[in-house]
Amino acid sequence: MATGQTGSIYDIGYRKYDGPRLGRAHAVRSLFLHSLRSSFGIGRGGRAKIAPLVLAAIACIPAVAIIAAQALFRQFPGGGALDDELPIRYDTYASTIGLFIILFCAAQAPDLFGRDQRHSLLSLYFARALRREDYALARLAGFMVAVFALQMLPHVVFFLGQVLLATDVLRGITDDLPEMAAVVVQALLTAGLLGGISMAISAFTRRRAYAVAGIIAAFIIPSIVAGIVIGIGSLGLGRWLVLLSPTSVLEGTNAFLFGTPAGGLFEGFILDVPDLAFFGAAAIGIATSVAVTIRRFRGITA
Amino acid sequence: MALISIRGLTKRYGTSVTALDALTVDIETRIVGLVGSNGAGKSTLLKILLGLIDSTSGEATVFDLDVKTHGTDIRQFVGYMPEHDCLPPDTTATDWVSHLALMSGLPRTAARERTAEVLRHVGLYEERYRAIGGYSTGMKQRVKLAQALVHDPRLLLLDEPTNGLDPSGRDEMLELVRRTGTEFGMAVIVASHLLNEIERVCTHLVAIEGGQLLRSAPLGDFTEQTGTLAVEVDEDAPRLAERLAGQGMSVALDGRAVLVALAGDQTYDLVRDAVAELGLPLLRIEARRHRLEDLFRDAPAGSGGAVPVASPVAGPPA
Repeated sequence: MATGQTGSIYDIGYRKYDGPRLGRAHAVRSLFLHSLRSSFGIGRGGRAKIAPLVLAAIACIPAVAIIAAQALFRQFPGGGALDDELPIRYDTYASTIGLFIILFCAAQAPDLFGRDQRHSLLSLYFARALRREDYALARLAGFMVAVFALQMLPHVVFFLGQVLLATDVLRGITDDLPEMAAVVVQALLTAGLLGGISMAISAFTRRRAYAVAGIIAAFIIPSIVAGIVIGIGSLGLGRWLVLLSPTSVLEGTNAFLFGTPAGGLFEGFILDVPDLAFFGAAAIGIATSVAVTIRRFRGITA
Repeated sequence: MALISIRGLTKRYGTSVTALDALTVDIETRIVGLVGSNGAGKSTLLKILLGLIDSTSGEATVFDLDVKTHGTDIRQFVGYMPEHDCLPPDTTATDWVSHLALMSGLPRTAARERTAEVLRHVGLYEERYRAIGGYSTGMKQRVKLAQALVHDPRLLLLDEPTNGLDPSGRDEMLELVRRTGTEFGMAVIVASHLLNEIERVCTHLVAIEGGQLLRSAPLGDFTEQTGTLAVEVDEDAPRLAERLAGQGMSVALDGRAVLVALAGDQTYDLVRDAVAELGLPLLRIEARRHRLEDLFRDAPAGSGGAVPVASPVAGPPA
């Protein structure tokens, strides 16, 4: 049968496989890791890496710049005063790079679900050792962890810089550790809320452009509404509209976690919404995104 | 223990479309052809067995496991080659197939090794490091087959595997299917509407029409002799038919052919004599075999829509 024709189907000895089969857990873990890597363009060719890596680099620029400035100013008498008046701190960093997190979501989330639908790959996934819900959750979790990593990276750079600059390294660590704890929680909420909403939107369309536009709209429009609400200074039911804006919700949780008056949009205004409401809204937002995504893939025809 | 056991399987879409209608059949380990016209329910059946869609009612088991409750266990050992396009254009064959191998439960190293073996096995060499978007149709079909084989399944489900292939590609694919079933110890089910291809590789046929089982039998049953003699004359076939009916034979008319029920060797002699006496130009005397196409015609199998002829001597028409 084997006549040496290249490109023809012939048998050169098909072998049986007697090795271990690791089942559903392994499949889910593999898909999770694959999604996490895909979020940064790893494994999909050079061009896919440009957007995420550029955004990650930009997000780190303020941290690197501040560290460099601090190191520089210390060389001059009185330069240590900068340390007391840093323009960017742990509690303000998140809103500084907030836009880049949104851009990352809009750039990367559509591909994670959209590609599989665009090329009809779902039937191959669902014909494998994992369930439909597993597929949805693995991809969702992979992206959320990617967003978490993106938010944490600049903070970690900043933290390391502060520790290295400190005269007493150990004290430097213990001073900043409580702030880092707050950073971690805020990053988790950001990953869950922004990541979840982005993925939920991208689950519903195979067209990349629609998903990108949808994600940006979902974040920007409510924040404009929130801005108006705050600007008007409404004290009635209107103030609760703020909770419909994911970015505003995250501002609220950030303020609570760092014990500072809300910055960013809220700067200078009084907003009589209880802190708990922000956390409740975040939890509801995350839970809803996850539920909607699972439901979508339960019902989709493969 | 049947490999696949199906009981009363029904699938309805809304109230108007019934894809499967109380289908009941057992499928054993063999190369099984699942035949039926387009829309007969073949793809629906395969998808229900895989758990890709849920049945409306009825039961199905694969490897003695219920498809509704043990889907992931079953799918570790089932390979599926869908009919439609299902390949990402910006990924290489190696990356895609090894990714799917992981999805089927293979450890990472084993996935890589099996991917390399299986891609060589289906005939993709240097091409497997190029993105799938640049492949020809034949190469894409091979990647589809490779991803179905990579985890060494016990059951292979192929939905129209020769779709889009040129004649030599079809031959190769069918040969591979045949060898997979006979040499690799894998049960194979091939769903197709191309009966002549199915005849070449399958040993057992399950024929479905309108969501119901027409027949499930070894291939030989479908193509055995019908016990009918077809006598083709160039003119005056009705006269011959009347003469033979008058001699007590069971006769039917099918265009230019007269179909005579074979009652034994003497039938041949009687027919020959009748034709000679009438002086008709004889074209052919042929013992008719069943053809697969007969299954899907409205008339009963074997008669091919023929019209019975009443015998003037005997009683009512046969």
